[in-house]
Amino acid sequence: MATTSDSAATNVGHVTQVIGSTFDAEFDEDNLPAIYNAVKIQSNEKGVELNLTGEIQQHLGGGKVRCVALGSTDGLIRGQDCIDTGKPVTVPVGDATLGRVFNLLGEPVDGRGPVEATETRAIHQDPPAVIELSTSTDLFETGIKVIDLLTPFVRGGKAGLFGGAGLGKTVILTELIARIAGGAGNSVFAGVGERTREGTDLWLEMQETKIGKEGASVIDTTCMVFGQMNEPPGARLRVALSALTMAEYFRDHSEGADTLLFVDNIFRFSQAGSEVSALLGRMPSAVGYQPTLATEMGALQERIASTDSGAITSVQAVYVPADDPTDPAPATAFGQLDAFLYLERSITEKGIYPAVDPLASSSRILDPQYVGDRHYAIARRVQTTLQRYRELQDIIAILGVDELSEEDKLVVHRARRIERFLSQPFLVAEVFTNKPGEITPLEDTIRSFEELCDGKWDHLPEQAFMYVGAIEQAEEQAKSMAKDV
Amino acid sequence: MANARALDKRRKSVRNIRKITRTMELIATARFKKAMDRAVAATAYTQRITQLVSDLAESGMELRHPLLEPRETVNNATLLVLTGNRGLCGGYNGGVLRKAMPHHVELQQQAQVRMEMSGNRGISALKYRNITADQTYTQFDDEPKFEEVEPIANGYLELFSRGELDRLDVVYTRFVSSSKQVPVVETLLPLSSLGDEQSEDEKENSSSSNYEFVPSAESILEEVVPASFRVKLFKCFLDAAVSEQIARMVAMKSATENASEMIQQLSMSYNRARQSQITNEIMEIIGGVEALSG
Repeated sequence: MATTSDSAATNVGHVTQVIGSTFDAEFDEDNLPAIYNAVKIQSNEKGVELNLTGEIQQHLGGGKVRCVALGSTDGLIRGQDCIDTGKPVTVPVGDATLGRVFNLLGEPVDGRGPVEATETRAIHQDPPAVIELSTSTDLFETGIKVIDLLTPFVRGGKAGLFGGAGLGKTVILTELIARIAGGAGNSVFAGVGERTREGTDLWLEMQETKIGKEGASVIDTTCMVFGQMNEPPGARLRVALSALTMAEYFRDHSEGADTLLFVDNIFRFSQAGSEVSALLGRMPSAVGYQPTLATEMGALQERIASTDSGAITSVQAVYVPADDPTDPAPATAFGQLDAFLYLERSITEKGIYPAVDPLASSSRILDPQYVGDRHYAIARRVQTTLQRYRELQDIIAILGVDELSEEDKLVVHRARRIERFLSQPFLVAEVFTNKPGEITPLEDTIRSFEELCDGKWDHLPEQAFMYVGAIEQAEEQAKSMAKDV
Repeated sequence: MANARALDKRRKSVRNIRKITRTMELIATARFKKAMDRAVAATAYTQRITQLVSDLAESGMELRHPLLEPRETVNNATLLVLTGNRGLCGGYNGGVLRKAMPHHVELQQQAQVRMEMSGNRGISALKYRNITADQTYTQFDDEPKFEEVEPIANGYLELFSRGELDRLDVVYTRFVSSSKQVPVVETLLPLSSLGDEQSEDEKENSSSSNYEFVPSAESILEEVVPASFRVKLFKCFLDAAVSEQIARMVAMKSATENASEMIQQLSMSYNRARQSQITNEIMEIIGGVEALSG
């Protein structure tokens, strides 16, 4: 990273107070560093080496500023010199970042030497102006049946994966990376506050995965930015912005190709914000979150936007604490998205993956205007059938299936098949399912569900619908099951 | 965690269902006792008269009666299916229909079949399957009366004797004991199958009995055989009625139990949801106070 030591030497303050991962510094009253400016503290005291970057958050008056540490504050001592860099944290952008792994400060952490980027950008940017925004409504095909049918992704839009702990958010996200990354454009992956191990797994996996038959690895068109669980809250709060800044550059210079941005996990961003907020002494708001929750989320999400010059298609995992979607953190993220998948625990309990709740999930473009009448009608039929089944479940639990009318029995019969047919073998889950991943074209998906709703496959046993691609595979599976018995 | 109010609402509706099922259970229990008394009383009479007919048939005399003769070609058959008028009785109606529908198809391959259906449940099931019922009865509930069954039986007898009916099959739920009822298909006309139910020792007893016919065996048969058919048909209705009550009783009992279990679970999640809601609110208030005072 290029240091600005010459100019910053003119503006040096010193640390006056250290509170957890925030600290106060005192500067010359007439020469205060601006809010969001990065300050650096470098020292080697008693053998403890310290190289800390902080970000100005508040001006406390009397020349004092309050900063959030973007790294560990271990070894920080009052009175140490604090150098104003004169600008916010900047990260390298451009093609040089591809294939590399960074931390939030834009420093490479993959041990492959320095990054020779010709350009750097500050991580705080204004969102694109209203007139620059493009409102694309093209469907983004993923080859996953439940997503393509019920929650079609928007090209250049934002999709969210909501789910509680252990429902498979990260698996779906990696699956999507395996399916759609390495297409025409570049991808950026932001690891926000998740397990470090998962980041390493993903990195290794991306090196192995090839685009097409031969050609380069997926990693060659991807850059990754990590600020995982081990990092202090300041780092987790800003890592999403660093990744976003890199993605923005690709968008502005992509010449039409889509840029993909994957964020795992946006909830950690809010969580880090709440930790920082508490340290900064703000009054907690609903459920203990920071009062600025919606502002922070809005500032981040508004920047993930498609403009006339290029599109960012983003997929974000959102952790839902205690499986409660009304929690303020997922609720604020929710409003920003074009398509959202809600993962449901009761579905994982049935062994159906991806555990997308077909009734709670939806998409802005699931509308005949965008996806066509046939797709829309079939998606609605599938939902109606499942909705009816859910309503009947209490009755079945109390009175038994025998009490249902003939129509309702048929609904239950089909709904149970549809429910199972929404499962699909994943490319990244081959080791678990012992089945090769299935990429089902949208046309096959629509046709399969249409036939299923029309009752063409009522005769197949329920188990035949588990983990198959198009409906013909269910038929084959039924045959092989019959043979085994 | 689902919100407390939704859980409470759901619990209320389950409670209402439980109220209904419990009442139904009690009513079914009361009705079952009555129906069972009637069925048991009729059983003795039916058995006796059936035995009489078969005794006569076996008494060595050359006895012939048109109702006893199996016909060589079956052109016109009638299928009478006895279901309940009401639901909420578990697999009772479903069981009868599951037995009746394949039999109906089978019969249709051999002959012209008249479909006769008793009970609203069966009628609507036929409608759903697009089968038109030639005759429907809905007047039979938990206490079928002999006066009501008799005209139907007479109708069959007349058609049979005129040769417009060659076979009458009845599908109903036979009452074996209060813990066992089975849906069966029984051929009532021609009556040749009579006596199948009798156990061996009964047969031994009966064969030893001697009869004197006054004025003649024919005239007695003329009277006894049709009577036996009528009683037999009436017994089917009685069995169906008592089986329905038992089925309802059992189904409602387990429904009530299921509902209770569900209420228990819902109560537990409701209490938890409520508790966490309260904890949350307290935490927020305390947090706010702390922040203000600090």
